[in-house]
Amino acid sequence: MDSASNLALLMARYQQGDSAAAADLIRSLSPPLHRFFLMQYVSRRHADDLLQETWLRIHEVRHTYRRGQPVLPWLYAIARHVRVDHYRKTHRAESREERLEESFDVAQPAREGPPGTPDLERLLASLPESQREVIVMLKVSEMSLEEVARATASSVGSVKQKAHRAYETLRRGLATMLAPGAPSRGSA
Amino acid sequence: MRDPEIDNLLKRAAGAQPQVDPALVDRLAQSIGASAAPVRPLAPAWILSGGLVMLCAVLAVAGAALLGFHGLRKMSALEVAAIFPVLAVLLGMAAAVCAAEMVPGSRRPVAPWALGVAGCLLLAAVFGLLFHDYRTERFVPQGMACLVAGLAQAVPAWAAAWWVLRRGFAVNSLAAGFARGALAGLAGVAMLELHCPNFETLHVIVWHIAVLPVSGALGLLAAAVSGSVRAGRRAAP
Repeated sequence: MDSASNLALLMARYQQGDSAAAADLIRSLSPPLHRFFLMQYVSRRHADDLLQETWLRIHEVRHTYRRGQPVLPWLYAIARHVRVDHYRKTHRAESREERLEESFDVAQPAREGPPGTPDLERLLASLPESQREVIVMLKVSEMSLEEVARATASSVGSVKQKAHRAYETLRRGLATMLAPGAPSRGSA
Repeated sequence: MRDPEIDNLLKRAAGAQPQVDPALVDRLAQSIGASAAPVRPLAPAWILSGGLVMLCAVLAVAGAALLGFHGLRKMSALEVAAIFPVLAVLLGMAAAVCAAEMVPGSRRPVAPWALGVAGCLLLAAVFGLLFHDYRTERFVPQGMACLVAGLAQAVPAWAAAWWVLRRGFAVNSLAAGFARGALAGLAGVAMLELHCPNFETLHVIVWHIAVLPVSGALGLLAAAVSGSVRAGRRAAP
């Protein structure tokens, strides 16, 4: 049985009240979801909060999953909604409060890569949010074009176009970074 | 640099991300697993869409029956054969979009905004081809009466759509609100075509079709207001 039909089966059992299926689903889908949030440039603490919030929302609306349909677009559509909601809340709160802990709390913790590897995080950060999201879903979460289109409520053509543009930007940025004489991550 | 090399770099970047805390996952699995009661899944998309179309059609006919089928009586067979199938197709598409907006990750036949624009253009083309009376007698008063009647018809259709889709979950509440408003507006247009005997081209194109975007905009507004009320409630201590 492939991974997609296994997820669909677990989801169907979760809807029937099977707590073991719910736990299996959470264990198998939390790591990619967490990675999805981290790659959208939120802090580790916020990614943890978003993960919890997403599962609570999924639990509330689990009846909206339709049996036989792919699970990932349904799940990522809810995760996107939670992220947008979180962004709005944070934005609203920040506009009211003084941003005392901004640099401490919101900034992504620095991660060290092997010396000489291009700083892909900096490149990804340069992409517009809609393109970055598509790239993360396609290449990191390994979803198909159709699944990404469903999760982002857009067409397959639009997803292809975003991915193409993102790759063009990444290619240009990487060419600059890997050019002889360009400063590399490890040389700093 | 070739695409597979970029793919490889992206995978490495993803692998370099810190892993999710296993204790957090265990906690989530325990708390959600403990409250995993059985739930009744939403009805299939075709049942929701079909139900919406039926309800809107019944409400449009009931509204026209209340006000009189003056428009239908005055129409030629060609006009009936051209207008109502187009309205039925638009109602079907709007119902499918409405249902899709309330189910996360479902395949959308068309974006709600695009449906609104396409619906207005299609109806304008059909009315423009069928009606050739270019007078504009009492353009605004008669037009306003039709707009108000169409919007009044849209209210119960909106409420019916809300009832049918009440168990759904909109990940984009504005798009869902517009789609529901547009569907209700189409019910209003259908009622006006059955009822209104004024076949002046501009009257039909401007005031009858206006029900669709105005109702869509009101649906959008209702969604925005209810969204900010919900956000305010969540933010309250």
